[in-house]
Amino acid sequence: MDQPTDRPTGVEHGIAGSGGEVRSFAYSDVLTSDEAVALEGLSEKPKSFGRLAWERFLRHRLALIGAIGLVLIALLFIVAPWFSDYAFDERNVRDRLLGPSWDHWFGTDEIGRDLFVRTAQGGRYSLRIGLTVAVLATVFGALMGAIAGYFGGWIDNVVSQLVNLILVVPALIVLSVWALKFGSSANQLSIVLAALLWTRIARVVRGVVFQIKEQEFVMAARAAGASHGRIIVRHVMPNFVGVIAVEITLLLGTAIVLESTLSFLGLGVKPPNASLGTLVADAKGSIDNDPIRVLTPGFFIVLIVLFVNFLGDGLRDALDPKSKAEH
Amino acid sequence: MTEPLLRVDSLGVGFPSKAGVVQAVTDVSFEVHPGEVLAVVGESGSGKSVTALAIMRLHAKSTIITGSIDFDGIDILGLDDDQMRSVRGRDIAMIFQDPMTALNPVFTVGNQIVEAIQAHHKVPDDVAWKRAVELLEMVGVPEPKRRAEQYPHEFSGGMRQRAMIAMAISNEPKLLIADEPTTALDVTVQAQVMEVLREVQRETGSAMILITHDLGLVAGSADRVQVMYASRVMERGSIDEIFYESRNPYTRALLDSIPDLGGVRERLEPIPGNPPSLLNPPPGCGFAPRCSMAVSACSTVVPELVPVTDGHASRCIRVDDLVPVGGAA
Repeated sequence: MDQPTDRPTGVEHGIAGSGGEVRSFAYSDVLTSDEAVALEGLSEKPKSFGRLAWERFLRHRLALIGAIGLVLIALLFIVAPWFSDYAFDERNVRDRLLGPSWDHWFGTDEIGRDLFVRTAQGGRYSLRIGLTVAVLATVFGALMGAIAGYFGGWIDNVVSQLVNLILVVPALIVLSVWALKFGSSANQLSIVLAALLWTRIARVVRGVVFQIKEQEFVMAARAAGASHGRIIVRHVMPNFVGVIAVEITLLLGTAIVLESTLSFLGLGVKPPNASLGTLVADAKGSIDNDPIRVLTPGFFIVLIVLFVNFLGDGLRDALDPKSKAEH
Repeated sequence: MTEPLLRVDSLGVGFPSKAGVVQAVTDVSFEVHPGEVLAVVGESGSGKSVTALAIMRLHAKSTIITGSIDFDGIDILGLDDDQMRSVRGRDIAMIFQDPMTALNPVFTVGNQIVEAIQAHHKVPDDVAWKRAVELLEMVGVPEPKRRAEQYPHEFSGGMRQRAMIAMAISNEPKLLIADEPTTALDVTVQAQVMEVLREVQRETGSAMILITHDLGLVAGSADRVQVMYASRVMERGSIDEIFYESRNPYTRALLDSIPDLGGVRERLEPIPGNPPSLLNPPPGCGFAPRCSMAVSACSTVVPELVPVTDGHASRCIRVDDLVPVGGAA
């Protein structure tokens, strides 16, 4: 592989000379110390994995755009209400269905509520659900996948069948029924979404763990007396953070889209609250004569999902432990 | 003689498969005394690594293990999982064949040694780290302080194997099991690593089981040799007894198949044929079909491991016909 032979260390290497005597040889004799260091491919202090990952991430332009874009959108949603004189549920019937203006940046809706403030409020709601779902589903899915993959046998069988069962259940129908029966607060929606979406991560992680546990360093850890829990946390998990980072971003996107879909169908967020989905739904009647009201929240959904995917792409490249970036 | 550190008694290891049980180790008994180096030699599939893994209890749960393993008064096969875990790494440590894959790529080398120490001793991080650096120095890693902060991919093969050795001796085990420690290394590095291994073994006073298929390696580093073939011990004895006074046709054939630098022999003698299947082994001696000295009785009954002298034993019906002729077989 990369370095099959011993590196010259400049200390204890001997080369048999032609006369049969051993003549000592050190790189430091012929090279300046800087050159010797460069020759070994080492700076005075080796960079940590985190540092290398960070540098790789910074070089990934799309990921950087995604990360910065997401932060900006989140900031916009958070600070927007401070720049507006209107509350998100404040009605001014005289000002209904206005177009964008200096007073109402995104216009107003059918009952005269300011759409800029409502978009910000809806965006926060969507982001919150997306993040909660991504974290919940990732933690649970990764844990289940790791356990299934590591222990194999009947445990793997049970988890895999459960995953298959959930995968064949149409998410939208379950969500609709749930929302109709139990209501649809942000937390409830998040939990149900997470319960439906952990399966993908579990599958991916299970596959990776199957591969990792056959590696000798896991056997070596067992031979050193490490417990199962310690092996999973210390040796197996760090080897799939890259995979997880990608999955978590994909999940975030999926969760936001699903929540928007649900809200669009009228099963998600209840008025006067809004999410990006309900905003699209509210405006759908006027798509012909006033498309801007549908397009603004739709634009944010697309932008968020797009940025999240950029980010995931960059994270995958940056966190791959086998990635051999120049260092 | 001193009390043995490890006593393996009629060990059997079988792997259940769809076609039946693959008997990888049959009736293997041997002893390892404190401080001595026992080399276990044999070709691939002879059962040497499987024996080692059985001592560490690292086989899958479904594996059928019979016989008994007594280590320092402890019945290894009778321990529960937690007790076994405290033996692994502390009393018995293992060095694996391939240092490329035996180190975790996402942690620094120092970190992994610290982990090995802290698995058995509750010491603060900085103390364990200092010890890790000392260990690296002990196994001849130059600039151990800086090297400890590097990742496995920044180490060469030889340096990685040194790090593995450092990790294995971190808890001063009574028994080291080295499973083909130099096989994955460059020839030029093999000797260095072997020397390091011998040195730390002598310094820590631990016993060692050296598993290898390289007879050349054995000659320089072992006290006693055990030759295995087709899941059984074929012959056992001191270095001289095995190399110069072998009483077993398989050992002799093995010795004939290694190149002899500066010797007069012109051609190497390969052993004809292949080892038998361990799934449904034919009756009789496993080596009989390939043996130039086989008689009809060889393929009907498995010969016993009969003592030749004190400490020298051979499994062959014709052991008495195999009187030493002097020289390497």
